[in-house]
Amino acid sequence: MLDLEGVSVAIAGAPVLRGVTLHVPAGGRVALIGRNGAGKTTSLRTLMGLLAPSAGRVLIGGEDAARLPAHHRARLGIGYAPEDRRLFGGFSVRENMVLPAEVLGLTGAEIRRRLDLVFGLLPELVTLAPRRAGGLSGGQGKMVALGRALMVGVRAVMLDEPFQGLAPALALRYAEALKRLRDALPELAILITESNPELLRPLVEATFVIERGEIA
Amino acid sequence: MITWFDENGLLLGLALLDGLAYAALVFMVSVGLNLVFGVLRVLNVAHGSFYAIGAYAAASLGGMAGLPVWASLPVLLLAAVLVGLVLGPVIERILLRRIYAEEPVIQLLVTFALFMILEDAQKLVWGVQPVSNDVAVRWLGTVDVPFAGDVIPFTKYQLFLLPGVALATLVGLAWFLRRTLTGRVIVAVTVDREAATAMGIDAKKVFLLTFTAGAVLAALGGALASPTTSLVPGIGAQTIVLSFAVIATAGLGQIEGAALTALLIGLGRSVAVYFAPELEVVVPYIIMVAVLLVRPQGLFGAAEARRV
Ligand SMILES: Nc1ncnc2c1ncn2[C@@H]1O[C@H](COP(=O)(O)OP(=O)(O)OP(=O)(O)O)[C@@H](O)[C@H]1O
Ligand SMILES: [Mg+2]
Repeated sequence: MLDLEGVSVAIAGAPVLRGVTLHVPAGGRVALIGRNGAGKTTSLRTLMGLLAPSAGRVLIGGEDAARLPAHHRARLGIGYAPEDRRLFGGFSVRENMVLPAEVLGLTGAEIRRRLDLVFGLLPELVTLAPRRAGGLSGGQGKMVALGRALMVGVRAVMLDEPFQGLAPALALRYAEALKRLRDALPELAILITESNPELLRPLVEATFVIERGEIA
Repeated sequence: MITWFDENGLLLGLALLDGLAYAALVFMVSVGLNLVFGVLRVLNVAHGSFYAIGAYAAASLGGMAGLPVWASLPVLLLAAVLVGLVLGPVIERILLRRIYAEEPVIQLLVTFALFMILEDAQKLVWGVQPVSNDVAVRWLGTVDVPFAGDVIPFTKYQLFLLPGVALATLVGLAWFLRRTLTGRVIVAVTVDREAATAMGIDAKKVFLLTFTAGAVLAALGGALASPTTSLVPGIGAQTIVLSFAVIATAGLGQIEGAALTALLIGLGRSVAVYFAPELEVVVPYIIMVAVLLVRPQGLFGAAEARRV
């Protein structure tokens, strides 16, 4: 579903990824583990088409993504929850969630169906929905970013360090939400990054470890 | 001490009414520049050219022989919209698109070069002699404003039409950006281009749309100004410098901020015209420097650092 094949990426002239190969099968749950600065975010941004590889191939749904514009990922059912949330602060939580679905041109009925599905999986979003996204705590923001990714991510979602900075209680709830996700949407592929390998072990079937831009 | 009944009070009243019309024009141009800079992150010097070309096109089309008097105003607006709709997309496609990834200095130099080219093109088409056409102003007529027992005739054009159009633009834009999907998409790209892309938004399309809207707004500003003044080479440069001052003073952000700042600078300038004419040209910049000394992020700019 999501593949990097020998991908190298340089940012501002400095090599960041070196021949990274990683495979997320359809419906698979995969962890990408690495220390700070190892290249986790860079790997996800490359899969999202936000960075262009200098070597290697990016495959989305088995197809070479070289000529696939970054913004077409959403249309292909790929959702992305960035590390620093990147919510649109002036919009409400609900507007944040609905925006990518509206951009795709989904019908009102389909958008409501997906909203209900996401609210069912992440019940804490129901009360947050009318609030301004700019006024949320970091942990609440992570939940919203996950919800927003799920609005278009029907085939795969990429979650960049969702547990980082979460209070233990919230981290527990987030992990429970991921388990519900697995039961409710078995065909959804999930790629999660984390620095602590223990945390994700019960949630995933496969783990890749990245060190200094290389898969260990 | 100024009261409404002495001569200074009278002058102040006149200055404020004059300033309102001027502020309306300043708003039309600077709100477009603000929008374009927010979305594209390119400070477009050629924005002033759109103003100038809009003004010249409006003056020549709105003053065509055989045109009924009542048609001058609609033709003038139409001319501006056409200028923006043609120049905006062509320039974005051919030029701007190539420099989005460049350093700000390069971007500034390129749009400055474009400005020089358009300035020459404009001299080629309309010459260097003053061009004027005030048919629309005369058609709308005047209204007598009572002041301290006197009546002063004001043109309806500057008293009602200019502020009315600016207000309609402000309300319309605010509504568009908040209530329509396209508007929210523009806001999303302004706030965070990469996150917007990940949400499925085609930023390139948004750039084209926003740049065109900015060009139309600038050309409209010029067209609306054209019947109130005579057009000479250099109005483009004057306009762009003033618009920079407005967006620097306002700070990047909501368009209401640009509107209030345009009002402040417009009124400031016309008060200077009446009371200290030698300061007229520098007043906007004095206001700008005073504001930036106290609030470096501008009057309405967000205090926290923005992700660019
Ligand atoms: N925009 C950038 N400019 C320069 N260097 C960058 C940039 N983004 C990332 N890097 C560098 O690339 C390397 C990998 O960064 P990346 O963000 O992918 O790491 P990460 O594994 O996500 O780390 P973290 O756990 O801190 O989020 C780091 O050394 C980083 O300094
Ligand atoms: Mg990271």
